[in-house]
Amino acid sequence: METRRIILAQLGPHLGALEENLARHVEVLGEARDTGADLVVFPELGLTGYQLQDLAGEVAMRLDDPRLARLVAATGDLSAVVSFVEESADHRLFIAAALLEDGEIRQVHRKLHLPTYGLFDERRFFASGDVLRAIPSRLGVGLGIAICEDFWHLSVAQMLALDGAQVLVNVSSSPGRDLAATNEGGLGTATSWRTLMRAYAQLTTSFVVFVNRVGVDESISFWGGSEVIGPAGDTVFSAPLYDEGVFICEVNLADVRRERIALPLLRDERLELQHRELGRIIAERAGLAPDSMVEEGAEGGLDVTGQPGRGAT
Amino acid sequence: MNRPVPAVPLGADGAPLFELPVELAIDTDVARRVIAAFIRGQLRQAGFERAVLGLSGGIDSALVAYLVAEAIGAERLRCVLMPYRTSSPASRADAEVVVASLGCVSEVVEISSMVDGFFGSGDVPGAAGPEGLAASALRRGNFAARMRMAVLYDRSVTWGGLVVGTGNKTESLIGYTTLFGDSACAFNPIGDLYKSQVRQLAAVIGVPERIIRKAPSADLWPGQTDEGEAGFSYPHLDRLLFWRIDKRRSVEEVVAMGFDTALVARVDRMVAAAEFKRQVPPIAKLGPRTAGIDYLYPRRRPGSARS
Repeated sequence: METRRIILAQLGPHLGALEENLARHVEVLGEARDTGADLVVFPELGLTGYQLQDLAGEVAMRLDDPRLARLVAATGDLSAVVSFVEESADHRLFIAAALLEDGEIRQVHRKLHLPTYGLFDERRFFASGDVLRAIPSRLGVGLGIAICEDFWHLSVAQMLALDGAQVLVNVSSSPGRDLAATNEGGLGTATSWRTLMRAYAQLTTSFVVFVNRVGVDESISFWGGSEVIGPAGDTVFSAPLYDEGVFICEVNLADVRRERIALPLLRDERLELQHRELGRIIAERAGLAPDSMVEEGAEGGLDVTGQPGRGAT
Repeated sequence: MNRPVPAVPLGADGAPLFELPVELAIDTDVARRVIAAFIRGQLRQAGFERAVLGLSGGIDSALVAYLVAEAIGAERLRCVLMPYRTSSPASRADAEVVVASLGCVSEVVEISSMVDGFFGSGDVPGAAGPEGLAASALRRGNFAARMRMAVLYDRSVTWGGLVVGTGNKTESLIGYTTLFGDSACAFNPIGDLYKSQVRQLAAVIGVPERIIRKAPSADLWPGQTDEGEAGFSYPHLDRLLFWRIDKRRSVEEVVAMGFDTALVARVDRMVAAAEFKRQVPPIAKLGPRTAGIDYLYPRRRPGSARS
């Protein structure tokens, strides 16, 4: 059996209380070591809370921060994904999720997609990451780490799987909203996320590990509902909505092999086609190639007719 | 996956307790969980363990009293009944039923002398001078709402609890609130619920049927009702607001859904005209960092809690 034990730390961090949240992480890591866990996943900004605004710069940590080193030390011989505000050497602030293994920071994923619409204002306070990489892990398979909104962009899950990830990890601080009675679980947000995770797991024939926080920051309540979805889109584990808790589940990595041989979607991806057509679309948008979707009379790069010369102003 | 819409609870006479437009039906279990955690979170962040609110006898404040009691226990809630001399005795009786059923601390603070002290009473002018004797019911009503606010904020100190807001989304959107009066609070658990949703939640949490059924009123003068004054029913108004605001439908789209063109225009005007009541007053931007503009912190920062 290629069984791995995964712990979903569905915590409710306290806003801006870095030391307190750090202590809770260390405590959970200790419990995880005792239960023989292989991987522990904490939610997005689990070390700082989400609605930071101008506090972001005050709770930011560089990767050589001794507080981070304490967490690395507490990880011991398991794998952990923790999330915090990372400050780069050139003082940009990122929403980061780090893979901790073997007493070191193995990878830092910087959130790629920063929602700045509706109730979100992330782009105001944070820089967006530019790198997406799967990474080998102690689990024996590749991991792909993404943060919340990253999963609302189709390409992210696909690229991680194509890059070698068999377990896609998404850490989130997803605010619950749309309480319509007709929604699954009474919450529109939960319905949308559950749909996404099953689709990604099935389409990438990978495990999807989703860890979402609970608790309240200001007006916003986070809904939990952390899940593990199998490579056939099957539900392996569902944590309750809104309850804080540390949940243990087991996955059988052989399921990935079985599914990928039975349903070779990744094998059949047409990367060169995507690459070529994306190159064309980029050139067309930049006005460097004739726009195949353009209205008659429009300038290059514009799908709609513009006034001649307006693009120059 | 869609679930069926829950049925509206029936009253003692077998008739539905209220009208619930299908698109406004919420999952009341989830709402109660979110609101309870919200109330506890607000208190914890501020370093308080208690709450205080003004109980009018109407459904909004009754519902909030039940929600606070559910979140932190009735023994930590103080309800203040603040009648004016023309307030309806039935409202007071309904408020007392809520207090008795919850078993929370309560007190009655008559605000007549505070209001009359300003406007005067009978032929005797108050602090406002002779002109005050002729003050309109609206002026008096607004003043009374602000006196109630002042009492609650005093009790916030003596009771050691945060003032909980009791205004709903419908009245906030159309501006049926008194600025720095009933809208003043430390936090509001029901400010994102339409009146129809307040009724739905009130019915499941145990607010007495009499309170759920009676016509909503600001109780500014005897016999006043919101719907009588405004000329529309809450379920109809709630639906219109939901489609216009939450679902971003255009005027043309809601008219095509069957809403009256004149009503849509009137409600749109009310919502726009009340924008100032829903926002923090603007500060003239002069310095390098200005609150609300480029000085943006959570309301409760680490280390700021009362200890």
